[in-house]
This record gives sequence, C-alpha cells and structure tokens, in this order.
Amino acid sequence: MRKLLFAFVATLFSFSAMAGGHAEWWKNAGAPYAGTTLQGIAENTPPGQFAGDVLAKEFEALTGIKVRLENTSWDQMYDKAIKDMEANSGIYDFVYIEQDIVYDYLNRDFLVNITEGLASNPDLQAPGVSLDDFTTFIDYFKDGSGDVFGVPMEAFIKVYLYRKDLFGRADAKAQFRAQYGYGLTPATSFDQWRDNAEFFTHFCAEQGMECWGTTVQGHTGHPASTYEFLESIAPSFGLYNWGVNMDSYQSCVENGGQLNGGRAKAALNFWTQLLPFAPPEALQSTWSEVGSSFAAGRAAQGWVYGENAAWIATDAEKSAVVGKVGVMLPPTAPGVMTQAASGNGYIGYFDGGAYGIPHSSKNIEATMLWLQFVAMNDHQADWAIAGGRITHKDTYADPKVMAVDEQADGYFSLMRDTGFLYAGAPPFPFHGAGRGAIDPFIYSALAGEMTPEEALDGACQALDQVMADLGYQD
Amino acid sequence: MFSNNKKGWLLLSPTIFILIIVGLVPFFYVLYVGFFKWNPLAVDPSMQFEGFGFNYRRLIFDGVFLESIWRSIKFSVVTLTLELSLGFLLALSLLSSFPLKKFFRGVHTLPLVIAPIVVGSIFKLFTVQGLGPLPHLLKDYFGYTLNYGMNAEQAFWMIVIMDIWHWTPFVTLTLLAGLSALPQDPYESAKIDGANNFQIFLYITIPMMVPVLIVVIFIRLMDSLKIVDEVWMLTGGGPGYATRFTGIHIWKEVFEKRYYGLGSAMSILYLYITIVICWILYSVMVSRGKSED
Repeated sequence: MRKLLFAFVATLFSFSAMAGGHAEWWKNAGAPYAGTTLQGIAENTPPGQFAGDVLAKEFEALTGIKVRLENTSWDQMYDKAIKDMEANSGIYDFVYIEQDIVYDYLNRDFLVNITEGLASNPDLQAPGVSLDDFTTFIDYFKDGSGDVFGVPMEAFIKVYLYRKDLFGRADAKAQFRAQYGYGLTPATSFDQWRDNAEFFTHFCAEQGMECWGTTVQGHTGHPASTYEFLESIAPSFGLYNWGVNMDSYQSCVENGGQLNGGRAKAALNFWTQLLPFAPPEALQSTWSEVGSSFAAGRAAQGWVYGENAAWIATDAEKSAVVGKVGVMLPPTAPGVMTQAASGNGYIGYFDGGAYGIPHSSKNIEATMLWLQFVAMNDHQADWAIAGGRITHKDTYADPKVMAVDEQADGYFSLMRDTGFLYAGAPPFPFHGAGRGAIDPFIYSALAGEMTPEEALDGACQALDQVMADLGYQD
Repeated sequence: MFSNNKKGWLLLSPTIFILIIVGLVPFFYVLYVGFFKWNPLAVDPSMQFEGFGFNYRRLIFDGVFLESIWRSIKFSVVTLTLELSLGFLLALSLLSSFPLKKFFRGVHTLPLVIAPIVVGSIFKLFTVQGLGPLPHLLKDYFGYTLNYGMNAEQAFWMIVIMDIWHWTPFVTLTLLAGLSALPQDPYESAKIDGANNFQIFLYITIPMMVPVLIVVIFIRLMDSLKIVDEVWMLTGGGPGYATRFTGIHIWKEVFEKRYYGLGSAMSILYLYITIVICWILYSVMVSRGKSED
C-alpha cells in the first residue's frame, strides 16, 4: 500500500513534467467530456489496482473526466462484462480483455476498433502516444488486418520461482546429496522438480518450518487449475494449443488430437504427483492464493504468475520472502525449448490483458482518451514496479525498472530476453465453452477421483463434443 | 366480475404489471429460448430451431445434468430433515425460560441476515486448508484431515453443514411463532387425561403445527433445490462434480459455456421437477392431515 501511495505521489509530482507540452492538449481534448464518469471493469490484479488508484486520478486531474474502475474477481469480471456487452446495456465504457478471451470478443463483435476510431477522429489522437511503443504483446489484440481492439495494460510470463535461502542452505545441500545422489539446485528437469519438492517437504517439517516443496495451483472447483494445466504445465511437456488439432478441431488422439496423448498424460501425472508435496491449501488455490502462499514462505519452488513475481520478491509489506526469491525459466521436456525457439511451440503462457471499449459504451470518445492515457510511455515504469508487468519496449531500460529487476533476481530481464519463448492462448473463439468442458476432468484428477489417463480421455471427448456441437468440426 | 370490481383491478394493476414484467415475460422467454439450439460461441451463433423437443431429448440422456438433479434432491432431503429436526428442538427450547434466552435468540438469528455469498466466504475462511482454523483444530485434536478440495464426501457434507448453519434459524423462528400461537386448551385436556410429554408432542403439537410445517418445508425445499451462491464461494461445484448442484450446473452451462438454449431447457425442466416434487409432498401432507382430522 505504501508502495502504491509512493508511486501515486511520485507520479503526481512528475506529472506536469510528464504531460510536458501536452498537458494543454489533454485539457482541451478532455474539455468536451469534463464531468463524464467512465465506468470500467477489470480483474483485481496489482496492475489493475495501479490503474484504478493512480492513473485514474491523474487522468481526472488532467482532463476532468472521472474514471471509476471496478477491480473485481476474475469470475465476476467476466460475468459482468460479457452480460453487459451481450445485452448492449452500456454499463461499462471499457472492459478488461484477457488475452485468452480476445478471440471470443472479436468473434462476437463486442469491441470498438480503436485504430479506426482514432484514424477517423484525429482530434482525439494524443500527441506522444503511439501504439508502436508497445511490445509485440499488442499483436494479440489486433484483428486480421492489424487494427487494434485493446490497449495492453499488463503482460507477464509464467516463471519458476524458488527460495534462494532454502536452496542455499548447507545442511539442505548435504542432506539432499546424501538422499538423492546429486546436488541440490533449482529444477531444470521435471524429475529434479519432484525430488526438490519431496525433499523440502520433509526438510521443512524436520526443521519445524511451515513450508512445503512446491506450489500447485490446483483448485478443484475453479478454472485456474485447468488454465494451469493447459497453459503452463502441458506446454512445458510439449503439448500445445490444448492438444487440439488446429485443422480438424479434434482433441482426442484417435481423431488426430493430442489432449489424451503421451505428453499430456505425462504432464498431468507429473503435476498430480506433486500434490503430496504442496501446501495443504493447494487444492483450493487459484493464481492469487499461489502467489500468497509463496509470498508467505510456504513453498520452496513453483510456477508463479509474473504479475506476482515482482511484489513477492520486493514488497516487504506483503511478502515474507523479500531478498530470498530466485527467478528462472521453468523446466521443459526434451525438444520443447528448441521448438519454442524456432516458433513451432512455446514453453508456457504469456499472460496479460488489455482495456477495450465495448460497442455498447455511451462514452466512446472520452474512453479513447483514457485508453491513450493508459498507453502513455511516461508512467509505464512506475506501473511496471507496482504490477510486475511490462507492455512497452522502452520500459525495460528505465533505471527504476532496472533497479527493481536486480532485486527481483532479473525477472524483468528474463521476460525481455525470453518472452519470445512464451505464447498467449490459442485463438479459439470457443474458449470458455471448451475450457468449461475440460474443467471437471482436471478437478477430478487433482482430487484423485480419476487417474490422469482417465481424466484426459474424458476431457478430450468432452472437448470434442463441444467443438462438434458448435460446428467447428464440419 | 371485472365490471363490479373496477376499482380493485385498478389498484391491483401495478402489481399485476410488475408480476408480468418480472415473472411471466422472463419465464416465457426462457421457455422460448429452450426450444432453440443457441450458443454465441458457435460457428453459427444464431438461434436455430431444431424441433420443440431438441434440447429436452438431449437432457434426458445428459448424465451430468441428471446426476446434478439427484445430488440436489439428496441435498434438499438431508438439509430439510436436519434443519426441521434441529429447528423444532430449538423452537421448543425457546418456549421455555432459561438464562440469557433473549441473547441466545438474537445470536441464533444472526446467520439469517447474512447474504449467502458472505456465508460461503465465512465458511471458506474458517475451513480452507492452510488458512482456516477448523482443519488445524480437527487435525490437532482428533487427527482428522479436513480437505474438501480433495474429498467429495467432505465437500458435500460441508455444504450441508453450511446450509444448516444458515437456515436453521429461519426454521426455528417460524416454528417458534407457530408454537407460540397454539391454543392451550388441548394441552390442558391432554394433561388431565394423563398424556406424557412425548404423547402430547406427537398427538397434539405436531398435528396442530402441520400448516406451519407445510409452509416451512416448502420454503426450505424450494430454497435448497436452487442453492448456488454459498456453494459457488466454498467449493465452486468441486471437487469434480461433487457439489455441482443443478443451479451451479445450469450457471456453468449458460454463463461459462454459453449454451443458452440448452441451459434454458435445463431451467424449465428443473422448474418442472421442483413443482412436481412440491406437489407430491403437498398432496401427501394435506391428505395425511385430513385423515388425521
């Protein structure tokens, strides 16, 4: 909180300089809409909080346009945003578009074409703001002709976090070598991950510490676990695009898919076998709880979303492991790294989202101004520090970001240098329906009610049924 | 009749108008949508009519949907039985005087004023592994592992306990109101005739309470059959399908998977099943009440 306050004050102070010669432009551009309140909805994440608490206030001070951003849970965000856009009710002037849902939104023509909107209204084009400043992550929010439908506000990769202090302990190293016959290091293979997890679970218990060997984002009633499997674990085993054959839209092996193939089963087996070495809350943990568990020092290693990596590593008010966090790429199965480097695969999920304007918005022009304000270069560094996200190319080189990068064991550098190995979700317009069909099988595998093999056989049949129902297999 | 009661109809018209708008129009719209194959995520996102029985035929063979109905009925029977038993006991207790009676009655009523979603949150905070105190206490003192994220039985019973905690006060208060209003003459006569307390309860109290019991049973039955919020917050319907009651199942089909046509048919079918269950129960209770008269 103090950090956020500091960021707010610092940004306010630097704001006159930031707006520079453009402050007058913003004032004039906002004048016709002064007094308007823009209503937005987004997922409650550190970047979203920064936008609502800091950027919205600056924007109001500059233009007179008030921004009320409703940062809520992931489920509620989707529920409210989609219902609003479907009903064309115009409650929200801008909505959060997660990278994986953008194909659904574009398919259903929910969003305003921002490129076209700005081109047809030059008076709204803010000086010094260019969509070219964004990293390639903005490409996920473009249609086939290259027009932008969402302005990225967060982008981060899924990394492997580990506890440097635990892995560095001499007694742990000696005990591990005696037990497993090789040295204790952060995992570079899945076998090593499992050994580390088993070892630290017992080691922590012996030492009277409340910690376990690994995180597992394994909620048995929330899609977070399906996403974890499909977007992080399965790709690192070489299973891409949910195992769906992108030509025939089939996912079962017998029909040409891969969702119940060897790689998928190896991935799910690996993941479920980690459960005995995960904190007891693992089966009720979404991405947020995994971040909190790691920050509380309850896990020695794990897959953690990058939006949490920075604060876990640097924010002593919220994290008990500041200065003790190491960041690496997660292990991958043989061949996966080569495929990812050549663009024929990916090692994990490049997550993030953008703000877009629904057609139903009653204040499209004022919202265009707000989205351009969000896209300004000037506040990107503070936003990156507060939210662990980077959407602009130049942000990596900002001195403030580089300082935090050092404290966060090179998380930002890792994203800059290896981001190309990651990918967003596959371009499925049926994203929600497909995932919903898979969910119960992943939940059952995690709960031990089904073997991973049974779960994936069932999941692929359910997914194929959905794709057939929706007409994708014709 | 209409011409004789113009003023009455005029006064009733706002209510009738609201009922039509908020009740009948949505109902008929859902009924209408239920006849279509409609999913906006499909290649053809338009509504396609494929026969009146298209979605309903599919539901007859939809194992997950049918299981969710069975699960909901099981849940309703279990919670209703336990809440009625506990509520009756508490109501009888509250008839007599004891120290701090008013305080107990106040505290006992508190869950009633809490929104279902908050009840789910409270139970989650209290029972979630790693954070909640209950798993720790059970493990430390009884060696019992509570992890409803993994154990389907525990998940089901945790929802039952949550529902009992939330709704037993309603049963208690309603029955208490009924008990307080009962005439005293039959009790005095029964005592003079030498009936013991159990006989009085069985042959005097219960029969006289039948109208109140019917109201309580129907309200709670209909409520428990459509449970969503608390379950959503506590288990999300998991693990697997363990707590995927019909309300949750419909929500997931409609708002996650966007099967609007199928989901509408599910809603109508489930409404029909609820009405049938209530009608059977009502018939049994009323006929039994008449035969006892």
